[in-house]
Amino acid sequence: MILGLDVGGTQTDAVLIDAGRIAAAAKIPTSRDLLATLRTALEAVLSDVAPGGLERMAFSTTMTINAIVEDRLDPTGMIVSSGPGMDPAWFSVGPSYHVVEGCLDHQGFEAKPLDRTGVQNAASRIIKEGIRILGVVSKFSVRNPLLELQAAKWAGDAFSHVAMGHRVSGTLNFPRRIATTYLNAALYRIHKNFSDALVQILKEKGLNGPRYLLKPDGGTMDLDKSIQWPARTAQSGPAASVMGALALDGCKGETLVLDVGGTTTDMAVVMDGTPLLKPLGIRLGPYRTLIRSLLTHSMGIGGDSEVRMDPKGNLRIGPIRKGKPVALGGPAPTPTDAMIALDLLTVGHRNAAAAAMERLGAPAGWDAATTAERTLHTMAEAIAASAKAFIYNINSRPVYTIHEVLADRRIKPGSVLIIGGPAPQIAGYIEKALGLPSRFPRHYGVANAVGAAVARVTSEITLQADTQRGSVVIPEADVEQAIDQDFDMEQAIALGRTALCRQAAEIGAHENGLEICITEKQMFAMIRGYARTGRNIRLRMGIMPGLIPGWEIGG
Amino acid sequence: MLRASRRTGLVFFPAFDWAISPTHPEREERLLYTQDQVLEEGLLDVDGIIEYRVRPAAFEDIQRVHFCVPDEESVATESHLIAAGGCLVAADAVLRGEVKSAFALVRPPGHHAMRVVHGNRGFCNINNEAIMIEYIREQYGIRRVAIVDTDCHHGDGSQDIYWHDPDTLFISIHQDGRTLYPGSGFPREFGGPNAQGMTVNIPLPPQTGEEGFLYVLEELIMPLLEKFEPEIVINSAGQDNHFNDPITNMNFSARGYAALNARLKPDIAVLEGGYALENALPYVNVGIIMAMAGLDTSFVKEPNYERDYRPQRDDITQYIKDLVVRLRDMFLEGHLEKAACKEGLVIERSRDIYYDTDHIHERQHEKIRCCNTCSGALSIASTSNRGQHILAVLIPLGACKECRKTGLAWFEKAIRGAYTHVYLLDRVRGVYERT
Repeated sequence: MILGLDVGGTQTDAVLIDAGRIAAAAKIPTSRDLLATLRTALEAVLSDVAPGGLERMAFSTTMTINAIVEDRLDPTGMIVSSGPGMDPAWFSVGPSYHVVEGCLDHQGFEAKPLDRTGVQNAASRIIKEGIRILGVVSKFSVRNPLLELQAAKWAGDAFSHVAMGHRVSGTLNFPRRIATTYLNAALYRIHKNFSDALVQILKEKGLNGPRYLLKPDGGTMDLDKSIQWPARTAQSGPAASVMGALALDGCKGETLVLDVGGTTTDMAVVMDGTPLLKPLGIRLGPYRTLIRSLLTHSMGIGGDSEVRMDPKGNLRIGPIRKGKPVALGGPAPTPTDAMIALDLLTVGHRNAAAAAMERLGAPAGWDAATTAERTLHTMAEAIAASAKAFIYNINSRPVYTIHEVLADRRIKPGSVLIIGGPAPQIAGYIEKALGLPSRFPRHYGVANAVGAAVARVTSEITLQADTQRGSVVIPEADVEQAIDQDFDMEQAIALGRTALCRQAAEIGAHENGLEICITEKQMFAMIRGYARTGRNIRLRMGIMPGLIPGWEIGG
Repeated sequence: MLRASRRTGLVFFPAFDWAISPTHPEREERLLYTQDQVLEEGLLDVDGIIEYRVRPAAFEDIQRVHFCVPDEESVATESHLIAAGGCLVAADAVLRGEVKSAFALVRPPGHHAMRVVHGNRGFCNINNEAIMIEYIREQYGIRRVAIVDTDCHHGDGSQDIYWHDPDTLFISIHQDGRTLYPGSGFPREFGGPNAQGMTVNIPLPPQTGEEGFLYVLEELIMPLLEKFEPEIVINSAGQDNHFNDPITNMNFSARGYAALNARLKPDIAVLEGGYALENALPYVNVGIIMAMAGLDTSFVKEPNYERDYRPQRDDITQYIKDLVVRLRDMFLEGHLEKAACKEGLVIERSRDIYYDTDHIHERQHEKIRCCNTCSGALSIASTSNRGQHILAVLIPLGACKECRKTGLAWFEKAIRGAYTHVYLLDRVRGVYERT
């Protein structure tokens, strides 16, 4: 049996999957106390299950994102070395941010040695401020981790936790590397406390199987190993939904996935079973990061959004949610009330819903049914417009080779898959608004929890080999080796594969035969004057988001 | 969050799958390290810096500018079309008002490509700036355009295309032609009979430094622009004046380029040459983008700046001062020795053009009708050592009745002559014909 649990902003969903079938599901309101919410949800879904029967548990949590949004991060010192370019002071984070001299160039050559005294002075000031958590970042550290390793060493051993920039991602982006390193450091203690408490709850309940946390890229990682990467656990909700859509439907062809929730609608594109990823990384509160994430877009319209009429007689929906629908005792009309008034949904007080619709449409002289009809139509139109803009933006992404320009590959979804509470009621309206066939899976209401339950471990590495400098670096995997002039693409792929598999196994990928995907592969001759002097190989490979082995689409 | 004080568009097309030859300076990874630096700086995350996707230009866009021999397919590869198309994307972004200015970081370059194209000259096949300018004129109804070509090599292609055009001010600042390819670009080349003084060449001595470039900009280029009052300013942003450039002898720097851009404030900048791909381009390009976006560039500096940059020598400073006095006198005080230009007179010239990359020898014979109201009808007979013998007639945008009549008569006569191809570009009717 497999357990999946997704904590959302307003609701928490849990499912229990037995032999590929959903055996139990629970939906409870999310409370301020995340651990209490997890405990309640676990109890609700596991009431009939003998402990010990769980092969696997996976959770999505809101602990880290809440800490970011509510500004409850731990005081963290940062020591940063930059070099030519933008002023590093612009990227200052945390209460104690220090820039020291020292720089690498884009190839990773040391252009100016790191200022040892500068690092030591910065470290002692940080310590004097009572801070014991440190982040060290240097520009181009993904090409050569030397300066970060030196900074971490020279800062001394007074720190309880040190995060280094080159380990967070191999992607080039110094400001994001600073922010991501900072978050991993500043969330360390908070996440560790959460993880310890969750482990304690699981122990109490006798649940000893492998346990995972969901990441925003739609993959999972071992809960115990997540301590090093706390920021990777933030904002995995939209990913849970997309993985749920994948698990329940398969998403063949090019599919637009819509998760219509209470306050928001999230959208994503899945290409033949593989969801699209963001080019750089997710944004967490005010921080742009290098944390790999599914490409999703969230808009402020859901089943519980407030519906009002503007002075011109047009219906407006969202982004505000005033509370529950009127039919359930709420203060303002909502699309859910429209569904109830049209008898598409049987819940709460139908008369209250109809009266709310009637009042809403009165200024335009519409009756309840007309108003309700127009509400759902307007909602679907707004979602369709947002989805079209989302796809247009994906198709406007720059490309850098003649091949890509001429191929002019554009995304054009052939169908739309809808999940979330109102899926069956709104599907027909969205189908019409988008002009695409729509469908919803059987377990549309708990797709997110299913997604968390069956998402496999994902991982990614970036390799750069430079025979002129005589080195190959895989920053995420802590690999740095000397290479000779003959180092070629084949060797690079082999080395990358080994590092990736080791890294994936470390965070909980226990299956044999990992599906590895090469997402970037470039090789350039390096030339000085008119002669070849070396070779520059760039590789990016990863285990893409997907479902655990043995899972059969449908649930 | 970091915000650009001027919204800036960026069109980046490194053409990672195209090279002239495997070890040629104009090759696949020319912009690789620039891309590395731009990405590492996080420039694309800056609020107000917007990256656009390129699209290929159409043959129609090329035909507004060039007579390609024998045809467009033969001289322009996909890569050239995309580089030119990148400039059109940049132009659209600016002229639709989406951004204040835009930078087309594209390759291969274009400013050595002339009106008639037989092949590749100075790494260029088609002229990206000219294709963009004529597109702008056609699409957005703009007339007065200034080009400031800051590539280290004389922009002889752009000069040739705008030689007769009184609506285009072409200013080229470059290493003195006596010391560098293509060997032209002297002050006495100041425009054809209908556009005298509209071409301004500023040949600077080898080893000109930051001081010299910025002095020329302030004392000569800015006043020239003020006087001309262009609707749009284009910068042909070559980056080979850099002290690290392997094929030139100048002494400019990334911070110098940034300062130049911050002062010039071009509406659109287009990358031209620049072959110090590892130790100049990354820093120069970051400097230009930041300057265009209005960001402080005081941290933009080559890692070897302190060690290798030498302040400008005094004798060079003096030479440049004297040169500026002479050029101000010619172009600002109006002491230009203009040739007589009597309405209706047809002036002829002959010249030899060498295509260094493709080893083509071309012989041209050009006729221009002197006109006080338009750019004048133009006819070019061109023979190459590849057996081509063509005649091309241009009836320019806004041509007067007489010039149009003259041009059509030249064309009519030529199609009965012994040419391999005869071309007519009638910009008044928007017609391009080739026999």
